[in-house]
Amino acid sequence: MNALEIEGISKKFGDFYAVKKLSFMILPGTIYGLLGPNGAGKTTTIRMVMNIIIPDEGSIKVLSRRMDEEMKERVGYLPEDRGLYPKMKVGELLMFLAEIKGLKGTDARKEIDFWLERFDLSDWKSKKVEELSRGMQQKLQFIVTVIHQPELIILDEPFSGLDPINTKLLKDIMLEMKKKGRTIVFSTHRMEQVEMICDNICLINKAERVLEGNLSQIKKQYGKNTVILDYDGEADFIKNFPEIEKIDDYGKFMEIKLKETFSPQDLLPKLVGKISINKYEVKEPTLNAIFIEKVGGKEVKDEEDTISH
Amino acid sequence: MRKILSVIKREYIQIVRTKGFIIGTILGPVFMLALIVVPIIVSSASVEKQETIGVVDLTHEIFMELDKKLDHRDYRLKDGFRRYVLEKFEASAGTEELRHELRERVLKKELSAYIYIPEDVLEIGARESAVRDSEPEEVKAEYVSEHTTDFEKLRALNGALNNVVIEKRLKREGLDPQKVAQYIKRVELQPIKITKKGEEKDTAGTFMISYFLALIIYMAILIYGQVIMRGVIEEKSSRVVEVVLSSLRPFQLMMGKILGIGAVGLTQFSIWTLFGIGASAYSTSFIPAGADFAMPSIPAHVFVYFVVFFILGYFLFGTLFAAIGSMVNSEKEAQQLVMPVTMFLIIPIMLMIFIIRAPDSSLAVFLSFIPFFAPILMFLRITVLLPPFGQIGASIVILILTILLMVWLTAKIYRVGILMYGKRPKFAEIVRWIKYR
Repeated sequence: MNALEIEGISKKFGDFYAVKKLSFMILPGTIYGLLGPNGAGKTTTIRMVMNIIIPDEGSIKVLSRRMDEEMKERVGYLPEDRGLYPKMKVGELLMFLAEIKGLKGTDARKEIDFWLERFDLSDWKSKKVEELSRGMQQKLQFIVTVIHQPELIILDEPFSGLDPINTKLLKDIMLEMKKKGRTIVFSTHRMEQVEMICDNICLINKAERVLEGNLSQIKKQYGKNTVILDYDGEADFIKNFPEIEKIDDYGKFMEIKLKETFSPQDLLPKLVGKISINKYEVKEPTLNAIFIEKVGGKEVKDEEDTISH
Repeated sequence: MRKILSVIKREYIQIVRTKGFIIGTILGPVFMLALIVVPIIVSSASVEKQETIGVVDLTHEIFMELDKKLDHRDYRLKDGFRRYVLEKFEASAGTEELRHELRERVLKKELSAYIYIPEDVLEIGARESAVRDSEPEEVKAEYVSEHTTDFEKLRALNGALNNVVIEKRLKREGLDPQKVAQYIKRVELQPIKITKKGEEKDTAGTFMISYFLALIIYMAILIYGQVIMRGVIEEKSSRVVEVVLSSLRPFQLMMGKILGIGAVGLTQFSIWTLFGIGASAYSTSFIPAGADFAMPSIPAHVFVYFVVFFILGYFLFGTLFAAIGSMVNSEKEAQQLVMPVTMFLIIPIMLMIFIIRAPDSSLAVFLSFIPFFAPILMFLRITVLLPPFGQIGASIVILILTILLMVWLTAKIYRVGILMYGKRPKFAEIVRWIKYR
């Protein structure tokens, strides 16, 4: 049984494809990252999963069933546009949102107290939502998402706007949920967060799937011919070496991808003596590099195609 | 259904608890009462004081009589002193000079006004024969003052002057004014309304109440409709709606909101009704037994239909206001769209007088069947003359069918609109929303 199965869904707004023929599936008990630059179609995909937008074609199965009212009670959803009733008291707000998720009064009260305690918001229970700081409202919003103990948790850009402390808190809770066997899907355009916690990813660009699968496998597939070079000096000459496939130069730090036929061992001697090397590390590419290659690279290639025609 | 109940409960509690609701509920009747009572108090407490009025009597016959008349108890101040003291002026030097002098004295506040009575006020014969069949031309005396808008005073002085003039004219013709007064005593045409249950004399009171109740339906729909609209806009602008919609269907949210706010309205009206019953019981206890005065009462069937048409009308317009709220981003933007909806409420209000005058004319029957007018116009017809039950039933059925249609239609608009931000949709887009599956 898959926690989520998406098969060939498309959504057009006018003549513009927001999502095109997208497919992926998520195993239960895993954390899944939905990646892509801004405007790639992540939020539209998530809204279609939540049955807020209806896809033009394709099918979506949530916990092996079509998404309906009953299923909504088994899913937790954190929308990209955060929002709560500003005039309601924190306790009442949570009670209302728990009730419409199908929770009974006594169960709801227990959960509310547990989560307020967990997020250090107990003192604010009888305060109005609008009196809370931005950070507190973010935490409250997350409580709303998980209060009914959903089997599938869908988070749209969960880390945006969080300070480092709350980012860590949220990350810890996500891992905790995973241990309890819950499935988490979240969208982001920040790669470092994905590398830390995701089991599987799907990279979307311009409405279409670019890359999908197990994160460590993807990284392996992208090979051992990536070099991280920490250096001082003038290193522009490296770019002219025939071994080089691609370079991300950050000035004192360089991520170098070699062509497949070359080994990192061949490159090092060519650098010795020309620049001062602080570190020379052979490693898997960062997700960021893969992301830029897949998303940025494709754009470049498209342009080249156009020119050559 | 349980989810709709949760929404209803939230809407109800959140509104009933606001200061706006509490103040509105208390101040509503106070305001209404004030509207009736304050003008009465103000006019009765108006500072009447003695004033001197100059009189130029070119007939030389009227002044004495007028002075005597104004000495009568009816024209005196509450403390028994004369209100109007007359001072006679003779036009010895010439009328124009005198009028000029009086003008100065009025401006210097020595006189509050002066009355100018021309020579010919007592004449009748010549004019009458010249224009036999048409109305006799009016003869004019003048009241010259800085303040000419105190209608009560003008009416009193005019009445007194007319009495004197008419008596004089009658006496000139050798008639006895007392007798003539008896000859021309008026006869009242008393309206008596008959229904199958019997007849009742006092139609004025119930009529006023019907008018009042129809206005209440109008105001309630307008006020609570806007509350619905504002609620939808708030949910939209605070972005909470997406969270809520991840738990329930747009239709459930819309229905819960309309029902919850409707419950608030009914609560408010119940409080006011109880207040009204209490107040009328209290005030009736002051009316001495046997006095020829009865508090106008609302017949039971009128009250039942009032509740029915209020609820139906509220639902019909409530869905419209909910749809408008879902289409816009701010209340300011909403006002343009509210206008046409409000017209559906204003038109029947403008037609009220016509319906009251001709409640069973075919036009009135037709108008009262139009679903957007029915809550006010059919109800009004019921209060004025009970139409055949077939008509009432048909109108209720048409209303319910229209409501179902509107709920279906607006739920579709609502579903799409509530998640749309940015530009307000064009009409063609709204049609497309409705067509979405």
